[in-house]
Amino acid sequence: MARYGMVFDLKRCIGCNACVIGCKQENSLPDGVFFTRTLSEEYGVYPAVNRVYIPTLCNHCEDAPCEKVCPSGATYTRPDGIVMVDPEKCIGCGSCAVACPYDQRSEMKAEAFKDGLFGTGELTDFEKQGYPRYTPGMVTKCDFCSGRVDAGLDPACVVTCPTDARIFGDLDDPNSKPSKLIRERGGKSPLPEKNTRPKVYYID
Amino acid sequence: MAANDLPIVGDSFKLGFRLQRYWDTPMASAFFFGELGAGLFLVSLLLESAQGMLAGLLITGLLKTYFHLSHMGVPTKSWRAILRPDRSWISRGLIGIVCFIGFGGLHLLNVWGFVPGFGGLLKLLAGAAALVVMTYQGFAMSHSTAISLWSSGLIPVSSLIYAATGGVMLLLASVPESAQFLVPVALLLHLCLAAVLLSLLHAARHGSPGARKSAELLTRTLYAKWFFALVCGAGVLLPILLLWFAGSVPLAAMIAAAGTLAGYYTFRLLIFKAGVFEPIMSFRP
Repeated sequence: MARYGMVFDLKRCIGCNACVIGCKQENSLPDGVFFTRTLSEEYGVYPAVNRVYIPTLCNHCEDAPCEKVCPSGATYTRPDGIVMVDPEKCIGCGSCAVACPYDQRSEMKAEAFKDGLFGTGELTDFEKQGYPRYTPGMVTKCDFCSGRVDAGLDPACVVTCPTDARIFGDLDDPNSKPSKLIRERGGKSPLPEKNTRPKVYYID
Repeated sequence: MAANDLPIVGDSFKLGFRLQRYWDTPMASAFFFGELGAGLFLVSLLLESAQGMLAGLLITGLLKTYFHLSHMGVPTKSWRAILRPDRSWISRGLIGIVCFIGFGGLHLLNVWGFVPGFGGLLKLLAGAAALVVMTYQGFAMSHSTAISLWSSGLIPVSSLIYAATGGVMLLLASVPESAQFLVPVALLLHLCLAAVLLSLLHAARHGSPGARKSAELLTRTLYAKWFFALVCGAGVLLPILLLWFAGSVPLAAMIAAAGTLAGYYTFRLLIFKAGVFEPIMSFRP
């Protein structure tokens, strides 16, 4: 069984946010909800100033705190390591959201589903086909586009990235691209002191 | 790799500290009324005040439930929160609340003579369940390491002491005859509160960057005036002075109780609002 993970190559990320748009489109996300973000940071002192882009998404932690605190059993980990949320079981209590050190949970507010992307109360065809996968009021997150992964495809953010800054694959396969990158370029985990053992790594 | 001087960035696409925004006023109200009701019940149980026990059960049973349901994204499925007591403090707490209402109600009926027998056992079970309700919310917060301000053993202690203090002050304000016994207890509890608040701030100021940012929010920037005026001033100092100099005067006890509850509610609210998520990494030199 594979153990899926992702590597972000910070040297390649140009902050175009195509991944964000690809994700929103693939997952039919309502207004204001993002499963992935590309954060930016400026550092240094003029004239030696630099800007770095840091993509973020759910880290699909081995020891996922969101799964541990979920009182309804809605959050669970698949055998391939993808941390999922069952929309039928989620009660929207938000305990997963305050337990995630990476702030990667999103509230699917009921109003967003009623108002629609344009705030007119009329849903577009795009919204009508996408929203039934969510329960209004639930708290959810990135699932590595599990439907695409099951079909043998990469997540939408990975295929949308024009610079190959996002690399997805099996971390248990030593010959997979992410495994090689982590090994050769020293992949770093976000907030390692939180002991969540993320399956997302950063290389720079 | 987190830098201390990063800003609070809200919900933007910038790197920095992010304020906790998932648990807000309804959840703070639910925590407040849950603990207050259980605290009032436990104190009333010890002093055998049936009216106090009834009030405690109603506060927790009605107000906590109402605010919890108003917070839930999918309230119709809230019953599911009871399903994972093996790993979730929310589930354990919900079981505690059900036991508290059940055993507390039965004990009250026993006191009124409607249910004969098992008086001692019901009292014990109701008291134990009240203790669970007084503390579990603190454990639910401190269990997670995501928000450094909350990730402290002092949070459940603060829940327990605030709940007990709130219960004692409500009973003191409503039953002035109990002043001789309750005033020293209330003074001691307020001193404990002061110690817990100081320890919590001290731990935060010497903790991770996120904890330091939370301490800064509480004591120097965004929430400082509310924290000092209501949590410290009205919630601790005013009651200590009033109880010390005029504890047996009913009006003073009522003002002291109002101050304690105002401070308690503000603490519950601010501890949520001042919680921050750490920046995942920083390249600042």
